[in-house]
Amino acid sequence: MHSLKKEMQILKMKINFTNEQNAFRDEVRTWLKSNVPETPLLSLDTKEGFEQHRQWEKTLNQGNWSMVTWPKEYGGRGLDLIEWLIFEEEYYRADAPTRVNQNGVFLLGPTLMEFGTHEQKSKFLNAMATGDHIWAQGWSEPGAGSDMAAIRTTAVLEGDHYKINGQKTWSSRAAYADWTFGLFRTDLDSERHRGLSFILVPLDLPGITVRPIPQLDGEPGFAEIYFDDVKVPVENLLGGDGEGWKIAMATAGFERGLMLRSPARFQQTAAKLLELYLANQDHCSPMIQAKVVEAWAQSESYALSIYHTASKMLAGGSIGSESSLGKIFWSELDHMMHQTALKILGASAELSQESQNDAAKWIKGFMFSYAGPIYAGTNEIQKNIIAERLLGLPR
Amino acid sequence: MNFIFTEEQIQFKDTIKSFLAEECTPASIRDGWEKNKSFNFERWKNLIELGVLNSNLPEAKGGLGMDQVTLALMVEEMGYAGLPEPVAEQIFLVNDIISFLPKNITEAVESNYNDGTQYIAFAHPLAPNPLFLNDAAGLILLNNSECNFIAKDDMDFESISSNDPSRELFQIISMNKVISASENFDELNTAVSARGALMTAALLIGLAQKMIDLSSVYVLDRTQFGKPIGSFQAVKHMLADVAVKIEFAKPAVYRAAYSLSENNPKSALHCAHAKFMCAQAAELACKNSIQAHGAMGYTWEMDLHIYMRKAWSMMACWGNEDRQQDIIFKTLSSASEELGVLYTF
Repeated sequence: MHSLKKEMQILKMKINFTNEQNAFRDEVRTWLKSNVPETPLLSLDTKEGFEQHRQWEKTLNQGNWSMVTWPKEYGGRGLDLIEWLIFEEEYYRADAPTRVNQNGVFLLGPTLMEFGTHEQKSKFLNAMATGDHIWAQGWSEPGAGSDMAAIRTTAVLEGDHYKINGQKTWSSRAAYADWTFGLFRTDLDSERHRGLSFILVPLDLPGITVRPIPQLDGEPGFAEIYFDDVKVPVENLLGGDGEGWKIAMATAGFERGLMLRSPARFQQTAAKLLELYLANQDHCSPMIQAKVVEAWAQSESYALSIYHTASKMLAGGSIGSESSLGKIFWSELDHMMHQTALKILGASAELSQESQNDAAKWIKGFMFSYAGPIYAGTNEIQKNIIAERLLGLPR
Repeated sequence: MNFIFTEEQIQFKDTIKSFLAEECTPASIRDGWEKNKSFNFERWKNLIELGVLNSNLPEAKGGLGMDQVTLALMVEEMGYAGLPEPVAEQIFLVNDIISFLPKNITEAVESNYNDGTQYIAFAHPLAPNPLFLNDAAGLILLNNSECNFIAKDDMDFESISSNDPSRELFQIISMNKVISASENFDELNTAVSARGALMTAALLIGLAQKMIDLSSVYVLDRTQFGKPIGSFQAVKHMLADVAVKIEFAKPAVYRAAYSLSENNPKSALHCAHAKFMCAQAAELACKNSIQAHGAMGYTWEMDLHIYMRKAWSMMACWGNEDRQQDIIFKTLSSASEELGVLYTF
């Protein structure tokens, strides 16, 4: 052990920000302060609200903030994951609008970066950054939910295009989005994971019918997409024909991993929850305090874990099945925090109109928190992944 | 920002891991139980030779001047192995607080400590029954207002049983010659409580990992309905829940250790956070591990309880989950302007 000691002094863990990172934070904060709309936008699940959010994406792009980690040539700033986390922290701190193009910038974006051709990257990433293409997800089908390999929607290669027939469902943002990405069966004789391809489809093509599905909150956040002999040019294939599963798994990894849910979101909720509790402490059960502390402790841990993971990735590591651990953690945490808030609110926890009562925001978040353990692969599926791939249990 | 371990830190961790895998087997722990002598001097001496015991003493005193992050990584392995000897205690509660001790106490400790080859026990309201006092050269005793040192020959004490047979505890009957000091007591007490929380947190995370590892092996081996029980989702999900808890408790331990090494004014909060998270993880690890073992988990024969018992003790002493919760709440509610996303680091 003595011989190891000298080198240890040189390379030390450093868990705080550099001057450059702090300067970057200031820049983000200043920009957001003068650009975040003073009145909150309408819900992005309404037609009008969706367009307001699209406009916000354009504003972000004008400030060159669409996705700070992308290379400059594709509309980014060429920064690293730590700076992205800083950007997110400031973003949530400023209560900036929800990213309507989250499917694009956080899921398809990194996938294109890894598997796209130069032409695809330059076309799609730039349109994503400007808000001209808002993306919907096209994974699930009526018979393929948790069992995604049961996908039956077909895409048959006919000359310079694929002809798509079938149905997708639970497509987030599809009610108003411009494009969808998803998996289609290109080899009709194939089964399960084989013979699937990852294809990018404009939603305004002839033969496409989008049927919005009202969600628990009454708004059409997701939709069914019907494909009836829809012709998609072959250059919209991402990666190789038949390589869809591999690419989809990478996308799902981004989704469950640190991209979809950066820690700032939960830390901000935990801070608001504490504030709510301190303001209402006198008429709350003392039992609530335990939950409020747990909310802080877990969101703090989530942030630490993500910075730990980001540091490992910057040092050349990669994120694998570990992303399943995170997905369970943040989705359960989010639900617990909102449930606790409603307990603090007491009888006002049913007053759902934002213009009438502050409780409404918590109620909206509370309902949405029920979706977390379901979307991006149910938590039960994540637990199977953890048990099989991290703990070594049999399938 | 570089929240990552150095290769050297990983090497220290691996060195102690492989040493303990050889030297601290379940059989050797049970041997200590049977002989009513869990403090194994052979192993203790080997740990001294390995440099572990004085690793965080200053170089001038024959140590390596090791930082708390590396210590926490090593203590995690001591938890994993269920090490009975009070190495974590010596490192965190004696070596690491020497700079906080009043001068007369430091002198007394150092004259008895004998270049780190001997052991000094510790008592504090959060862990009032000193461990292995019988094998100690003396005792540092913190009450609510002062710090004391008592040499072994200057006190009478008797054994008191722990639910973990690896922990030989004592209570003091009388003290004849006590060296006392009360200067800087609050600072000392805060430093000690934070290290107690961090030490037990690191041990708990190792113990929780051990329990989940034992369970994962067991459910592969045990067959029912013609299949390993580990292929059933009910069993998988139980163990996956523990893996989630462990994953998000670990970085809290490393950050708390880092805060201590940087003298961060928030280190008390960070250590409380670490213990809070690790106690929750260990609690679920105990519950779900014994469940995964079925009736076998409830036997004396199965090794699981070696680690489960230590975990129960580590959850209880140096401030349990509820106490840490109080510390966290007091800190958060007294500094409400410093909340939210910007104050993690």
